[in-house]
Amino acid sequence: MESNDVFRTKKKISWVLLRILEVFLILCWIFPLIWLVITSLKLEGEVVTKNFTFWPQHPTFANYTKAFTSTYILNWMWNSLVVSTVTMLLTVAVDAPIAYAFAKINFKGKNVLFWAVMAGMMVPFQVLIVPLYLQFNSYGMVNTLTAALLPRVAMPIGIFILKQFFEDIPSALEEAAFIDGANRFTIFHRIILPLGKASIMTVVILSFINAWNDFLWPLIVINDTVKYTITVGIANFQGTQGTQYSLIMAGAAIASLPQIVFFLIFRKQIIEGIAMSGIKG
Amino acid sequence: MKKSVSLLLVLALAMGLVFGQGTKEAAPAAQAGPVELTFWSLFTGGDGEFFDAMVDEFNKSQKEIVMKNDTVKFDNYYTKLTTALAAKKAPDVIVCHQANLLNYVPNGSLLPLDEYVSKTTLDDFQTAPLSACRFGGKLYSLPLDVHPIVMYYNKDILKQAGIDKIPASADEFVAACKTIKEKTGKWGLAIDNTTGTYKAYTLTRLFFSMMIQQGGSFLTADNKKANFNNAYGETALNWLKDMVNKYQVNPNELDYDAAMNMFKLGDAAFYFNGVWATGTLEKVDGLNFAASPLPAFYGTEGWAWCGSHTLAIPVQENQDPKKVAAAVKFIDWMTAHGEMWAKAGHIPTRKSVVEKDAFKALPYRADYAGAAKYAAAPPSMAAWDEIYGTSSDLLEAAVTKNQDAKTALANMEKVVNGIIAKY
Amino acid sequence: MIPGNKDTRDGILFSLPFLVIFALFMVYPLLFGLYISFFKWNILSTPQFCGMQNYIGLFHDQKFYTSLWHTVEFVLITTPVLLVMGFAMALAVTGKSPLRDLMETVFFLPYIFSMTVVATLWAWLMQKDFGIFNQVIVSLGGSRVSWLTNDKWAIWSVCIATFWWTAGFNMVLFTAGIKQIPKEVYESAQIDGANYWQCLNHITIPLVSHTTILCLILQVIASFNVFGQVYVMTGGGPAGSTRVLVQYIYENGFQYFKMGYSAAMSYILFIIVLLVSVLQYVLLGRKKEE
Repeated sequence: MESNDVFRTKKKISWVLLRILEVFLILCWIFPLIWLVITSLKLEGEVVTKNFTFWPQHPTFANYTKAFTSTYILNWMWNSLVVSTVTMLLTVAVDAPIAYAFAKINFKGKNVLFWAVMAGMMVPFQVLIVPLYLQFNSYGMVNTLTAALLPRVAMPIGIFILKQFFEDIPSALEEAAFIDGANRFTIFHRIILPLGKASIMTVVILSFINAWNDFLWPLIVINDTVKYTITVGIANFQGTQGTQYSLIMAGAAIASLPQIVFFLIFRKQIIEGIAMSGIKG
Repeated sequence: MKKSVSLLLVLALAMGLVFGQGTKEAAPAAQAGPVELTFWSLFTGGDGEFFDAMVDEFNKSQKEIVMKNDTVKFDNYYTKLTTALAAKKAPDVIVCHQANLLNYVPNGSLLPLDEYVSKTTLDDFQTAPLSACRFGGKLYSLPLDVHPIVMYYNKDILKQAGIDKIPASADEFVAACKTIKEKTGKWGLAIDNTTGTYKAYTLTRLFFSMMIQQGGSFLTADNKKANFNNAYGETALNWLKDMVNKYQVNPNELDYDAAMNMFKLGDAAFYFNGVWATGTLEKVDGLNFAASPLPAFYGTEGWAWCGSHTLAIPVQENQDPKKVAAAVKFIDWMTAHGEMWAKAGHIPTRKSVVEKDAFKALPYRADYAGAAKYAAAPPSMAAWDEIYGTSSDLLEAAVTKNQDAKTALANMEKVVNGIIAKY
Repeated sequence: MIPGNKDTRDGILFSLPFLVIFALFMVYPLLFGLYISFFKWNILSTPQFCGMQNYIGLFHDQKFYTSLWHTVEFVLITTPVLLVMGFAMALAVTGKSPLRDLMETVFFLPYIFSMTVVATLWAWLMQKDFGIFNQVIVSLGGSRVSWLTNDKWAIWSVCIATFWWTAGFNMVLFTAGIKQIPKEVYESAQIDGANYWQCLNHITIPLVSHTTILCLILQVIASFNVFGQVYVMTGGGPAGSTRVLVQYIYENGFQYFKMGYSAAMSYILFIIVLLVSVLQYVLLGRKKEE
């Protein structure tokens, strides 16, 4: 048996060591993002050079200025904001009811339908491009933001997440409501949705992130540069015949900034939302 | 909760509809205003700046036509174009690599231009690039430029190594690069041989060129079989391989960006790339370089792989003759002002442009304008894209892993023939 | 639950909004793809019926197998690592460290970035001559590593970028699972004299099994469809050694104009993923009930 003092010192040392490890891991994890910002503040001549320096010798916002003045970057931000917001609202609006149906309603064909919906996550998007485009063309909707967002609204993973949480809501609550004469719609609005706020928040955020980051489909279906979403717009910073790292990093920083701000503000809700739906996964 | 959700939904949909409006086509009623044309450009980065400037200049130079230019990342350009063509929703004018024309011509996606372009204009074009745009006797596009592989070299390194005569044959290159390594410690060559962000096509382009230089060809004349599994192919592949592995004057695992940066930083003496690199290289401070047509590694004629950007007019559901006429004017103007495009390094295709003082004043371009004479376009066949990409992978492997040339070529022949058979 | 017809009616009604959108923008293109897989189609001409030719062709196509293998490699490397990483991070974040909130934020942050941003950033970090990883290695006396330009390392480098990007998501799911375990279970174990590792092995790991299965299924589905980050970082190289199946599908459709063939391969991939997912759900999901 160790004396109390030795034991306490050992504990203190291991505590300190663990904290050092954690700090190290945090720095490792955040480093790429720091490097992204540092590179964006350098001129290309400092980036590709034989005299490598960590910090910019002549820090400059030139890359950011170039991005803002020579492109429609503000329009792109706005377009992304519209597309992502509408997608997120529509996604919840369609995902929540069917998730409730899978979770709480025992109807014929439920399992087959569930797997059919899951199957939607399993096909590579490339095979859908041409038929989707032909379809939107027949509606006269090519080159619209609506066309850019609609295919993303049906988000199977959202249903999966909501279903898991809705399943956890005690049936007793529903049964009591039925006895009181309520119908399913009332139960859905008055009981399920309020209780499911956390996981709904999750789906809201995931669909926003997915919509914001969507690249290939918006590129194909939107023609006017001024209507591009931000991911499509900044992709053009990649030159036809050579990579300009500092400019691309600046573009990446600008494109990601709204989401980072959004995340830092709503951090708690986001993480808790995802966490709640992981329960009884 | 219900009320606020529904309210939000309504608001969202309204927003979406308002901001998501498609381009409201201008009312078909006769417009006195200028003809509006659309164009999709695949030129980004340095190329893009020059091209966009030309389009701006075109718009400023006249009032009848307004060209709207939207840029699409080159990687995705053809995907987007093909998808749009499938719905007959392509823009009024497009850019199309000469090698890709065959994907669009047989299925009637491009408008034959014979009846729209005047003879005077046609005569102003150089013969070879123009005939590359003809299929079955009809003209489907007009070439904006030719961009062959050329050679760039660092004058300072050569001086330092005491080399005063530019090597003119494969053997002379070996000797020169060895000297450079001994006397300066720098790389003799920067030929990229690994795919990274950009595919390492340089190897295939050089191999292709060397086949022709030796009097052979990559594929047989009827494009039905591979034609490189022979002494010519071995010679070419061995040269490319040995520079990396035997003489070690070319780095291994070098990708496109790294190769260009290596030359830019003055670490390599000889650099082979398309003429498009000129625009970037001349912006580098302190790089004392020169450009010349690809040397005749073998034989006496410096045949070089060559691509070409061409401008074409897609077939539309309802082809508006006014727009077609305007499109032709645009193409005419752009090609006639090739000296502006040459700022990006490309070689113009119209004789009148080569004569202009503005063009002659551009450094380097005049030095390799002669390369157009020995420009070798890739074979015109539907299977070429797959052959090109696959051969590129195989040559990469052969060079970076120092595979035996005979085996590598035999395998490549089998694969290429297999591809051709599938089309 | 009130059984009977009302259930079916209600079930369909609630499913309807999703199903409409799903049918229009997912099912229709999917069925179109299936249809076209029996044709030779270059997108711009009339499709030509060719029966099973595309499917037979792909079974003889060596590149199909190598591409599929590269995809499977990716799945095999990333799945276990991402599960373990997510779990380990969750342990750190549910422990007693004063830094746990900061860790949670930092570990999750990469997930917000788009694939293109992540891939471009990591391609830059790993760039052989000017990327900072090699600059650091060289300054410590080592020699430059060919992160992305050597066919042995390229796939691992892409996987490393993927770990950084998505481990945080798994962390959050595991965190929830761990937080669900009642404190009493740990307390009684500690009274019995169990140490940290015994608690971990006998309590934590078994009790988060349902989360593990959830992560596993979602992970595998996503990994089988990998394309973007590989393509941006390596272009499928060096020498095609990282070309995954979805890249080959894309090339066949839009570069070689063999849309029917491309569709056929997509369906084979789909069947593989479906089988794997159903198997996982059936074999492992059963444990959930215990």
